[in-house]
Amino acid sequence: MFDFLKQYYPVFVEGTAQTIIISIIGILIGILLGLIFVMMRLSKVRVFSYIARVYIAIVRGTPAMIQVMLIYYTLSKVLEVPQIQFLGSGLDRVIPGSIALGINSGAYTAEIFRSGIISIPNGQTEAGLSLGLSDRTTMFSIILPQAVRNILPALGNEFISLVKESSVLFYIGVQEVTAQALGVGGTLYDFVPPLIVAALIYFVLTFILSQLMQLLEKKMGRKYLQSN
Amino acid sequence: MSAEQNIIEVDDLKKAFGENVVLKDISFSVKKSEKVVLIGPSGSGKSTLLRCLNRLEDDYEGKVLFEGENVNGASKEKLCLLRQKMGMVFQQFNLFPHKTVLENITFSPIKLKVASSAEATEHAHELLEQVGLSEKAEAYPQSLSGGQQQRVAIARALAMNPEVMLFDEPTSALDPEMVGDVLDVMERLAKNGMTMIIVTHEMSFAQNIADKVLFMNDGMIADSGTAKHIFKETDNARTRSFLSKVM
Repeated sequence: MFDFLKQYYPVFVEGTAQTIIISIIGILIGILLGLIFVMMRLSKVRVFSYIARVYIAIVRGTPAMIQVMLIYYTLSKVLEVPQIQFLGSGLDRVIPGSIALGINSGAYTAEIFRSGIISIPNGQTEAGLSLGLSDRTTMFSIILPQAVRNILPALGNEFISLVKESSVLFYIGVQEVTAQALGVGGTLYDFVPPLIVAALIYFVLTFILSQLMQLLEKKMGRKYLQSN
Repeated sequence: MSAEQNIIEVDDLKKAFGENVVLKDISFSVKKSEKVVLIGPSGSGKSTLLRCLNRLEDDYEGKVLFEGENVNGASKEKLCLLRQKMGMVFQQFNLFPHKTVLENITFSPIKLKVASSAEATEHAHELLEQVGLSEKAEAYPQSLSGGQQQRVAIARALAMNPEVMLFDEPTSALDPEMVGDVLDVMERLAKNGMTMIIVTHEMSFAQNIADKVLFMNDGMIADSGTAKHIFKETDNARTRSFLSKVM
């Protein structure tokens, strides 16, 4: 059933590498945007808070596939990306595609950050401020480190979703692992075996990711539990 | 009483949360080294008043002067500098749970560049010795008892070498057997000449330590004077009825 792998495994390797790369870029942009938008969302300046709410509402309320296509077709008009091939796809598709993934993830990440920040008692902020620390230092050195620890499980979920959702970039012609599997399926006139291979690859990737997150959770949790 | 001696001056302070007026025309002053104790029923505005002094409560009317500088009108940067000189101790300790005891104490002096890392660490060990917790430097707050946490919180506030210490019901969240240790630390601090403003329900402690007692009721300073005046001599009916209930 899986004899085709002998011939086609390089295609899957390439697709897997592409999936990993767009996912990592997507996650990083998502974290960055999440941080920016959560600060705006919690800002006392009404306009910022309003912009963040609108962004989050739109991203959450529309299909990722449409977002990706809209961003790709818009960016491709504005952004001049050279037609360099990278792991089987043009950079003019990979770059807007990963940005789109990040923009999508940013909205969810912002809400996850917000849930973490509001879970930290106000006394922590007050303690920081009373020592003469600035709002920013208090947020970044006192509140966020505690918030991040609380939201690691939710963040892990979001990262895992993103790895799987990255298959939507297939629609704009990024040759990630789903696209490659479908390509192989088309050649073989049999879609099931290559799709099973793709599914297994996603499973392994997300499994590794969830193990990494658990490791991080343990590492961040350990010192809290450490007794004298 | 010359104005120069006053480290804190509060003039006509008014604070409302929406419709709810919690402070009405509060005026008082604190001299260097003076120990001022705020007492009164819950909801009388004691904690709010204390929190207006370092502007943890914002948007109030009237004037709060610290060393002659207007706290209310201070810019963000100026406010940070003023807060560095006003240590605060909270009812719930509010230690940073992700930092060790030592890091809790050294974090702000290092971050705010008032001390080098080595100086801050040395100072922190001295402070821990003062509050009797030398052996806990590397522990995390969760592993400490409430009384120990509060003593660390006092050390943390002292690490900035403040001119004034504000105590917001420092023993109210403690088990009874822990209260004494914390009060001892505060008493020693008082003996060393620290200027202190204390909100407390510990009446015998208040009586011992206070140079001046402000009795607050319904957002106003209903009665004030020496500890002797408030606890023994006052004619104020509200003060007497309050004290008869709590003592």
